[in-house]
Amino acid sequence: MTAGAFPRTTTRRARTGTSSRPVVRPLLIFVLAVIIAFFAVIYSRISLDRTAFEIQLLDRQIATQEQLHWDLRVEHARLQAPDRITKRAVELGLVYPDDRQTIELTGVEAVVGGPEDRWLDLRALLLEQS
Amino acid sequence: MSRTSFRFGDLRVVALGLVFVLAWAGIGYRLFQVQGADAAELAQRGFDQRVRHETIDAKRGTIYDRDGVELAVTIYGKSLIADPSLIEDPTQAASLLAPIIGADYIDLARRFDSDGRFTYVARGLENDVVSQVAAAIEEADLVGFSFEEAPLRIYPSGSLAAPVIGLTHADDGRGIEGIEAVMDTELSGRPGKRVVERDQAGRAIPQAEYLLESSTPGSDVVLTIDREIQYTAERALQEAIDFTGALGGSVVVMDPETGEILAMVSLPGFNGMDRSSLDPSAIRNRAIADVYEPGSTLKVVAVAAALEEGVVRPDTPFDTPPEIDIVGETYSDHGNHPSVMTVTDIVAQSSNVGTIKIQRQLGDETHYRYLDAFGLGRPSSIDFRGEATGRLDHVSDWCGPACGASAAIGYGIGATTLQMAAVYATIANDGEWVEPHVVSEIVSPDGESIVSEPRQRRVISVDTAQTIRSMLRGVVTDGTGFRADIEDFPVGGKTGTSDKFDVETGEYSETETIAWFIGIAPIDDPSLVAAVVLDTPTGMLPDETELKFGGASAAPVFADIVESALHQLGISPVHQDDE
Repeated sequence: MTAGAFPRTTTRRARTGTSSRPVVRPLLIFVLAVIIAFFAVIYSRISLDRTAFEIQLLDRQIATQEQLHWDLRVEHARLQAPDRITKRAVELGLVYPDDRQTIELTGVEAVVGGPEDRWLDLRALLLEQS
Repeated sequence: MSRTSFRFGDLRVVALGLVFVLAWAGIGYRLFQVQGADAAELAQRGFDQRVRHETIDAKRGTIYDRDGVELAVTIYGKSLIADPSLIEDPTQAASLLAPIIGADYIDLARRFDSDGRFTYVARGLENDVVSQVAAAIEEADLVGFSFEEAPLRIYPSGSLAAPVIGLTHADDGRGIEGIEAVMDTELSGRPGKRVVERDQAGRAIPQAEYLLESSTPGSDVVLTIDREIQYTAERALQEAIDFTGALGGSVVVMDPETGEILAMVSLPGFNGMDRSSLDPSAIRNRAIADVYEPGSTLKVVAVAAALEEGVVRPDTPFDTPPEIDIVGETYSDHGNHPSVMTVTDIVAQSSNVGTIKIQRQLGDETHYRYLDAFGLGRPSSIDFRGEATGRLDHVSDWCGPACGASAAIGYGIGATTLQMAAVYATIANDGEWVEPHVVSEIVSPDGESIVSEPRQRRVISVDTAQTIRSMLRGVVTDGTGFRADIEDFPVGGKTGTSDKFDVETGEYSETETIAWFIGIAPIDDPSLVAAVVLDTPTGMLPDETELKFGGASAAPVFADIVESALHQLGISPVHQDDE
């Protein structure tokens, strides 16, 4: 054993708390936030696209229904055409009378104006009620 | 040894490096070109391929009759288009499609056999036809055909009132005839604009569509036409044309109080839905475009003027020899009549001699003033494009007494059926002329309505109008217009027959005539005026009356139309025994 042995001096520096530890949590939060934001943007974009497609679909449905509406109105007008009705009536046995017979009903006023005029009172009544 | 291998390896590295450098240089150069030098041009090309400025069609307004039934309406049909360069067998395709779309096979085959890349096969096909065509194309596995959406103008009532409603152009949809043309600005609306991004297949990319300007739909136009009366008038006139062999004819039915035209017929007509067989001459609306000498129907103007001016009274007698000489021109009467007649008799018997005598007492200046006031020589209405003005020379240009005499009996003056209907409507409306019109109102897309306000002016007094009406009643009960009589309604009117003037020879025809009847119903409380014109009727009735006369051919048409129209309007019948 050698005497006078020098006491061993440590050159290690004491580790002082967190100063040397890498800052991970904020980084993680930031990365997470970026990822969330990224997916949120993607999701919102997809949602927007989906909504746009739905709107487009609804627009198409509206156009189709409008087309149907006008097709039906045209068909309605065609069915009302006097020429068509007369031809059909003749096919079914209509014969024009040689002598027109007029039957007068006392107490019945003459019908004046078109069907619209005849419904004016009813329309006014309904408007009052609404 | 090691030095040699080192050199060889060094060279390979250098070569590889060079390749890399060159490759990167190439990429860099291209990058510089794309992103730098040509960037603007390439960006524009991409933009042009993807982004399109499109016009949004404005929906054309609808034309309605007075009861709100559609007479002309726009729907969206489809146009069949073809790329002839892709069609493998043009004759097979033509033979398959021609019968479905109603096209000419040879014309279609020729178009399919061309070198072009685009041709319209059929425009504005209705949905049921589209289904048939699509099925045929699929079944035969034809290539080179596709559909595109296109506005289609539909006339649901076919030929009914077609010359009044008119037509639109097949290409741009603009009105070219009738109300379609006159009201084109109102019906057309205003097209919109949008920017659309489309993918390679031509589909619109969602969210990439920008509206620059919305389209404004056209206004709707409501006509005064009554479909039932219109149909009755068309049927009655067609029967008369068939029976008399006339070249054509026209009818105007008016409400004298409002000036509303309830029916306007021009035959031969056309069907706006069948353009393949469209005869250009049939598009003309004869009721407003054809000018004829009105013959005896114009006598009422001279008589009304003379009564109004106090020159004559209904019972004023006139010597009425069979003929009269006016400065070398001889005017005669048809048939026998008494040698002395009152003004009322002169109208009832339609005496040329008597009317000329009345006109001579009236004077040319005054006569002209009344002809002008009744609306002759100028268009009657603003609702018609191409309405003829007729012919009424200024009195200063008249040739003297002979011109006055001719004018009194309806010669030397030209009038349309509409103008003459308006003359009689003035008499029916107690002497007040009301502008005839066929447009009742214009309704804008936001519901605002512009109602027609026809012009009005007084021409003769109420008393004179009533006196003329009683004379016109006499024409039907005791005169030349007896075939216009109706059992349940007292009507009045005037017959007219004018010889046709041959422009080429400069002479009047001895056989060809224009037959007129214009009447008022009921005569004591007028609801309707109807004017009927037949162009060159021929043949004979069983009693050997020639059909070339208005009283024989046109008067029965009036009776047919008016009887039905009065029932249609709900006018109560009057027992004529009680009159």
